[in-house]
Amino acid sequence: MGIIRGEEMVLNIGPQHPATHGVLRLQVRTDGEIVSSITPYIGYLHRCFEKHCESVTYEQVIPFTDRCDYLASMTMNFGYVVAMEEMLEIKVNDRVQHIRVVMAELQRIASHLLGLGAFGLDIGAFTPFLHMLRDRERILDLFEMTCGARLLYNYMWIGGLSHDLPVGFVESTYKFLDYFEPKIDEFVNLLVHNKIFVERTADIGVMPQDVAISYGVTGPNLRASGLKWDLRRDDPYSIYNKFEFEVPVGEGGKGSVGDCWDRFYVRVLEMKESIKIVRQALVSMPKDGDVHQSLPKKIKPPIGSIYKRTESPRGDLGYYIESDGSNIPYRLKMRSPAFTALSVIDEIAAGWLLSDVLAILGSLDIVLGEIDR
Amino acid sequence: MTVDFLFDSLVSLFPSWENTDPFLVISMLIPLVATFGFITVYALVVIYAELKVSSFIQDKVGPMGQGVGLHAGKWGLLQPIADALKLLSKEDIIPSSANKLLFILAPFMIFVGAFISFIALPFNGSIIVSDLNIGIFYILGVGSLAVIALILAGWSSNNKWSLYGGMRSAAQIISYEIPAGLSLIVVIMLAGSLNMQEIIIYQQGGISNWIIFDNPFMPIAFVVYFISALAETNRTPFDLPESESELVAGFVTEYSGMRYAFFFLSEYANMFVVSVVAVTGFLGGWQSPFSGSLDSPLMGVFWMLSKTAFLIFIMIWIRWTVPRLRVDQLMHLCWKVFLPIGLFNIFAVAIWTVLFG
Amino acid sequence: MIKYFTDIWTSITTILGGMGITFIHLIRARQDNVTLQYPEERWPRPERNIGFDHDNYNVIRTRLHVDMDDCIGCLKCERACPVDCIKIVTEKAPERGSDIKEIKHVGVTTNGTRKAMVVTRFDIDMSECCYCNLCTYPCPEECIFMTGGPNSSRHPLDYEFSEPDRDNLIYKFAKSGTKEGLDKYIGEKSAES
Repeated sequence: MGIIRGEEMVLNIGPQHPATHGVLRLQVRTDGEIVSSITPYIGYLHRCFEKHCESVTYEQVIPFTDRCDYLASMTMNFGYVVAMEEMLEIKVNDRVQHIRVVMAELQRIASHLLGLGAFGLDIGAFTPFLHMLRDRERILDLFEMTCGARLLYNYMWIGGLSHDLPVGFVESTYKFLDYFEPKIDEFVNLLVHNKIFVERTADIGVMPQDVAISYGVTGPNLRASGLKWDLRRDDPYSIYNKFEFEVPVGEGGKGSVGDCWDRFYVRVLEMKESIKIVRQALVSMPKDGDVHQSLPKKIKPPIGSIYKRTESPRGDLGYYIESDGSNIPYRLKMRSPAFTALSVIDEIAAGWLLSDVLAILGSLDIVLGEIDR
Repeated sequence: MTVDFLFDSLVSLFPSWENTDPFLVISMLIPLVATFGFITVYALVVIYAELKVSSFIQDKVGPMGQGVGLHAGKWGLLQPIADALKLLSKEDIIPSSANKLLFILAPFMIFVGAFISFIALPFNGSIIVSDLNIGIFYILGVGSLAVIALILAGWSSNNKWSLYGGMRSAAQIISYEIPAGLSLIVVIMLAGSLNMQEIIIYQQGGISNWIIFDNPFMPIAFVVYFISALAETNRTPFDLPESESELVAGFVTEYSGMRYAFFFLSEYANMFVVSVVAVTGFLGGWQSPFSGSLDSPLMGVFWMLSKTAFLIFIMIWIRWTVPRLRVDQLMHLCWKVFLPIGLFNIFAVAIWTVLFG
Repeated sequence: MIKYFTDIWTSITTILGGMGITFIHLIRARQDNVTLQYPEERWPRPERNIGFDHDNYNVIRTRLHVDMDDCIGCLKCERACPVDCIKIVTEKAPERGSDIKEIKHVGVTTNGTRKAMVVTRFDIDMSECCYCNLCTYPCPEECIFMTGGPNSSRHPLDYEFSEPDRDNLIYKFAKSGTKEGLDKYIGEKSAES
């Protein structure tokens, strides 16, 4: 008989694994079920977004921004066009601003719906996932009505929108919101307060506020750690300063502040806030106004650079654009919120069980298309 | 009982035959084939029910289609058959670095564990393959055979996910034997027998005489048994060994085709076995809920199957509602919640029986 | 100790509450059902009627179609395409605005523009297309469009255009032999004169 040795086992979660939300490889060292370290390997979905942008014109960049965060294409468009408009010093009219805000907030709801549903799926609850997808589908129907596409919209243009709203959009949106609000409560009763779900998420993967800040985690993940930081409120772009909404933060409802349950519940609350914003924007939206009014004839920004950040469903989405005076960007850099959220996983998930690691990964709500770009 | 009956009738049919050994073999083979056929048909029905119930819960329609052709028949009735044919015709893959013997052995062992439990299941007063005098004990015993098969499957696949699945299932099934056993001990205390038929006959006389309504502690024992049974059959919320979002597919990761179908079949067969035990122990077995009426032998089969079907429906219903537990919470639930409750139940029922029984 | 029992109690109540919700869905399956039985039922196509002057622009993202009789070969769509899936080759027409019967070239578009170019190659690789719709906006003759919606009168809608062979997804709108026909035509012309 040899000496019985205990040694750590290296386990590759991914690239083909049901819980990695895309093609991500997590190399974990495990001691039995306990995970001692996690190393994420990314790049399986790398499409040279930034380099590619250096060879297409400014308006042709927009379809590529769609494909970065394919679950929140509207907000990806939004961030880019806001940055470009500031660079070109274009003022767009009020109707365009309102439509953009409505679209961005509907997109936020859609993105959170998928994030929450997929998180439930990671925990093992299958039914909420399909309920979430059912409601997301209705938002996609609204988008299809508006711009013809269901996922990759190319809807917001520099200086305007590709189309005005179709007839009956406002009524359909009201109908959807009226339908959707009770569904959130049903979802909360079905999953969020379920004891097994609470046991699986409360006090798991606690992200303290200082860790979140030092890693640069933003968005719902940061707010779940207790910091009231939302670019829509703190650095308002577009017309977000006109609307009244709360910034929900994690309060440790079932465990401690910044655990998986908080990250989950903050997103549920954010959906409710988004509904509020959509309702306000629909009420105050001006009836007339050409959405093509301020489209520039030629997009040739002056030599210089700009960094503009906006609040995507996953956090601070920054675009750094450097212009050399031609109609093609000299350099375009995207700051990806999901990338920083993924980088923190070793800090908060090491030492937990294997099942917890996947729950924590799900609670961060990452999109690999945006991380790898 | 059925074996004896068949044997006796064969002997009386052919009294001239001196050697009765072939009769014995035949009278054993008939129930064997019948049981196998029953399991197959039952599995097809339950797979269809699971597909439909899950779809309705999730606001879908499930398998649907018109005619035969490429569609799945009216209301998708042919879907389970199509699934079965697909599994049968799939390529059978054995990983090159797997332990071939054990890898091939595991699906058969798990199926044997589920299959031989059927011997002691009573369908009515006379339809039971073998009326063992330790029936309930026998079922608990052979039910644990699955553990060996799951560990074999997990270990021999030479896959890390399978290994995790196998280890988890070993811990889980062995642990949950104990609360299940403790709950059944209470039943045995009341009925005074380990024989399945005698436990059922003890509950004669309508719904109020069922063991679950015998005293206020029995519903607790029933719930404890039922949840432990869920854990033993690896159903959600206890499907840790094959949790698809954590361990890909757990111990069945490397299995395909027919071998995978055996794991599938034995999971559903196990569901049936534990439901029948629950019905026998708590819900009056094949007895009619109305005292003195509707209790012909044929209605006995009906009551048995409908009560079992109800419990299986609840299992499916729970599966599509709740999330999955974590491995340490599973142990916590077993050792710190169910075990004390089970022990408390034994004392409480004993005292109750002494005082009021 | 109290927490132990309250935990058990909340487990039971929340799980039963969840089961109640799923049971309501189960019995309301017929009303709540959202599935469309695809080959029998079709997705309703969104209708549009936009108030500004681009009312003929469709917003249905289906496959691209080109009315070759209207195409003047200005290459604007080729330049707008972010993924370079449109390939156009043009030749100078021998005479501006006149028909060339031999290669079925129409000299004047429906908008009344007299064509100066003959398009000898107009290929769209739909397997590369990213459905961004950017090519349809700059077209001065509105001859490149996505099928269906407001354009269904011009071309029947089909969004089911899967092909068993990838090459079939390269749509060749210019008729084959246009280049040779044009060369021959020009050769005959010069021989005559």
